Amino acid sequence: MSGTPPPTRRPGRGPGDARAPRIGTPGGPGASRAPGTPATILHVDLDAFFAAVEQRDRPELRGKPVIVGGGGPDDRGVVSTASYEARKFGVRSAMPLRTAGRLCPDGIFLPVDGTKYQAESRRVMTILRRFTSRVEQVSIDEAFLDVAGSEALFGPPEQIARRIKAAIHDETGLTASVGVGTSKLIAKIGSDLRKPDGLVVVPPGEEAAFLAPLPVSRLWGVGPATATALAELGVATIGDLAVLPPDALTRRFGKHGADLVERAHGIDRDPVHEPDAMKSVGHETTFDHDTSDPEVLERTLLGLSDGVAWRLRGMGIRAGTVVVKVRDSGFRTVTRQAPLPEPTDLAEPIYQAALALARPEMRGKRIRLLGVTATHLDAPDQLGLFSADEDRRHRAMEAADALKRKFGDRTIVRARLLDKGLPAPFERDPSSPLARRGVDEASDEPEPVTREREPDADAGTEDV
Amino acid sequence: MKLTILQENLAHGLSVVGRAVSSKAALPVLSNVLLRTKDAGLELTATNLEIGITHWVPAKVDEDGSITLPADLFSGIVASIPMKSATIELELLPDDRVHLVSGRFETHMKGMAADEFPQIPSAGERPTTRVSQKVLRQALGEVTFAAASEEARPILTGVLTRLEGDRMTLAAADNYRIAITTIPTLAPAEDTSIVVPARSYAELERILTDVDDPVDVILAPSRNQVVFHVDGPDRTVLVSRLIDGQFPNYQQVLPKEHTTRAVVDREELLRAVRPAALLTQKTTKIVKLHVGGEGTAGISVTAVSDLGDHQSEVDATIEGDGTTIAFNADYLTQVLQNVATTEFDIDLAGPLSPGVFRPHDGREYTHVVMPVRTAS
Repeated sequence: MSGTPPPTRRPGRGPGDARAPRIGTPGGPGASRAPGTPATILHVDLDAFFAAVEQRDRPELRGKPVIVGGGGPDDRGVVSTASYEARKFGVRSAMPLRTAGRLCPDGIFLPVDGTKYQAESRRVMTILRRFTSRVEQVSIDEAFLDVAGSEALFGPPEQIARRIKAAIHDETGLTASVGVGTSKLIAKIGSDLRKPDGLVVVPPGEEAAFLAPLPVSRLWGVGPATATALAELGVATIGDLAVLPPDALTRRFGKHGADLVERAHGIDRDPVHEPDAMKSVGHETTFDHDTSDPEVLERTLLGLSDGVAWRLRGMGIRAGTVVVKVRDSGFRTVTRQAPLPEPTDLAEPIYQAALALARPEMRGKRIRLLGVTATHLDAPDQLGLFSADEDRRHRAMEAADALKRKFGDRTIVRARLLDKGLPAPFERDPSSPLARRGVDEASDEPEPVTREREPDADAGTEDV
Repeated sequence: MKLTILQENLAHGLSVVGRAVSSKAALPVLSNVLLRTKDAGLELTATNLEIGITHWVPAKVDEDGSITLPADLFSGIVASIPMKSATIELELLPDDRVHLVSGRFETHMKGMAADEFPQIPSAGERPTTRVSQKVLRQALGEVTFAAASEEARPILTGVLTRLEGDRMTLAAADNYRIAITTIPTLAPAEDTSIVVPARSYAELERILTDVDDPVDVILAPSRNQVVFHVDGPDRTVLVSRLIDGQFPNYQQVLPKEHTTRAVVDREELLRAVRPAALLTQKTTKIVKLHVGGEGTAGISVTAVSDLGDHQSEVDATIEGDGTTIAFNADYLTQVLQNVATTEFDIDLAGPLSPGVFRPHDGREYTHVVMPVRTAS
C-alpha cells in the first residue's frame, strides 16, 4: 500500500540528529559487520503521542502540562497520555485522573480523540512501510521494523532510523524515539532510553553490556512481583541478573527463570511479525427494522456486493470465495460460504453467490443483519480464453468507478438501488469488533450506504 | 428367465456397466442393473439418465426373460464367488425374485420388474460414421481432460464433436485452456456438430480398446442423444445425452502469431515441471517458464512459495525472442502428461499471450493455455 518513495533529502536536519549515542565500543561501519546477527531491528515509539498531537494542533498548549484521558481531574478514568511537561509533575500513563489532578493542579485535561489519533497513527505507519514491508505494529504509537535488505536503498540501519525520525517529523510534526538492535528486546529498551526524540543504536555483541547497568524492571517479564523476588536474590540491575547461575533462577522461577537469563544477555528470538496479507473484504448492514421483505433483502445484498466489488477493484485484487452472514430477529447468526466459479472483482457474480447462500437462511425469518464478505483474495490473476465479455463489463465498471471517485459515489447508482429507500442509516453491527483501520483515507468511503470493515492492521484477519 | 453364465464374464460385464449406475438415483430402479436375455447371451444395462451403458455377455440361455437387480448387491455377490471359472445359474422366480446358485453358494435376491427400467435407444440404426477405436481412444485422452469440471458454463463441461466429411474434430475447453484435435473417420458423414458431456467421453475412453476395429457413432434422429456401438467379443453400447447450446467459437481465440518457439522433449519438460509444481503456492500454483534469452540453451522452469523454491533446466531448441511466462502448474502438467508426443512445439508471444502446445511431428492437435499474470 505504500508506494511513495521516501524523501530523498539528506537526513540530518531533522530532530533527533543531535545525538545518537553508541553504547559499548565505538561503533563505526566495522561494528555492523561483526559476526552473528546484524542489528537490523528498529523499535519506533512516538513520544507522548496523544498529548503531542493535541499540542501540535493547538499551539497554545505547547510547553504546558497536557493530560489526555477522560473528562478532567474529577473523572473516574485514567490518564492515557501525559505531555512531558506534565510528567515533570509525576503524572504517568494509567494513573487515575484524580491522582494526576492532585499532582498537577494546573494540568490541562483533554478528552481522548480516538479518531484523530488513529488517523495520525496510520500516517506514521505508512511512513514506516516505505522503508520495509516488515513492519509489526504493536500499538497505536509503536512498531517494530526489520530493515534487513533495505540497506541498499536507504543506508545502514542507523541511517534508516534517522530518516524515519526526520520523515515523521516533517510529515506529521511529531517526534519519535528509535532503538536499533539485534532483537526486538534490545530495540525496545533502546527506544525507551533517551525519550523524547531519542536514537539509541546497540551494535551486535554489545547487548549484554548495554543492558547491564539498567534496572531489571526494564526487562520484559519482570513485573513488581518478579522484581521483588529478584531483589531478595540481590539482583537490582540486569547485569546482576546476567551473572546469576541459570539453575538458581530456574529453581526459583521455573522456565520463566531461564527466559529471564536469556533476556538479561540480550537474547530474544522473536522475529518481527509482518501482518498477514489482507484476508477479506466485507460489508454488512443492520436494518432499522427487522424485515422479511425479499425485495429489500435482495436489494440490500446487491448493495453490499456492489460495495465489496468496488473495494476489490480499488485494491486491484479478486476474490475466490463469498461469505454471507445472516442474523435474524432472534439474534441467531449463521455464516455460509461458497467458492466463486472464478475469481472476480465484479458485483454480479458476488451478488449471485451471496443470494444463493443467503436465500435458504432468510426464508421465513425476519432479518436483522446481512453481511457480504469476499475472501481468498490471493486468487491468481489467471487470464481467460473467452473473457471478452467480462473484459467489457470490467471496462464499464472501471469507467463508473472513475466517475464515482471524481464526482462522488452517488454519481452512478445501479438502477435497482436507485431511490429505493435502502434501509438507513446502515449501522455497524454492534457486536462486531471495531476494526475500522483504513487502507486508504476515508474520503472514498461509500458513505452512508455501508460501513466498511477492514482487517485490523495488527491481526490481519476478520471474524467472518 | 433361466441361464448359466461364467462368473468371470458376468463380473466383467457388471464392472463395465456399473460405471453408469446412479449413485444417488432419482428413481430407485436407476440403482439397479437391467438383465435381459438376448442373442444367446445376457445383456446388462445401467443408466443414470446422462449416460447408459449396455454390455452383452455370452451365456447358455434356457429360458428368456428380464429383471433388474440392485447393482451394488448383485456385483458384490458375483464378486464374492471365489473361482473365476465357476459357473453361475440364474433363475427368475415369482415376485421379481432371482435365485443364484454357484456350486455350494446360493442366494435369493429381490429385484424390480424390467418394465420399470427406462428405455435406452438401441444401436439398430444406421451409423452416422465409424472411427477406429484406437484413434478415437487416443483423441479422447488428449482432449477430454481440458473440459470444465464445474457447471458454471454447462456447455464447457462438454466436448465439441464436429463431423465434416471424413474428418472428426474434437474440442474441449474451460475458461483457461482449450484442446483441439482432428482425426480421420472411416465413413463420410454430413456436416454436423454435437456437444457430448466430457464425463460420457471419459467412460467411452475406458470402453474403447487399442485396436483398429471400428466404433459406430450413431446420432439419434431426435438429435438429443448419441450412441457409440463397439462390436466384437466385447459388445458394448454407450448412449449419452447431448448438451444443448452453442460451443464458444474457439477459432477466434487461437493465437495466429508467435514471437518465440521452443521445441522440447515432452517427458523432460514434465520431469522439470513436476518438482516445480510441488513448490508452488497452494492457492496460486504458479510455475514460470523462462524460455531462451541470454546465456540459456533452453527452458528454465521455476517456482517459488512459502515452502521453498525450485529451478530446473531443460534443453530446448529456441527460435525467436527470449521470454518468461507463468502458467497454472496443473494445466501445464496435464497437457504434458496427456498428449502422446515425443516432442512439443511451444509457441509463445510474451508473458500475457496464450501458450500454444503442438506435437512436433505436425499431427493435428493444438492445446492453448492462458498464462497467469504475475507481479514481476
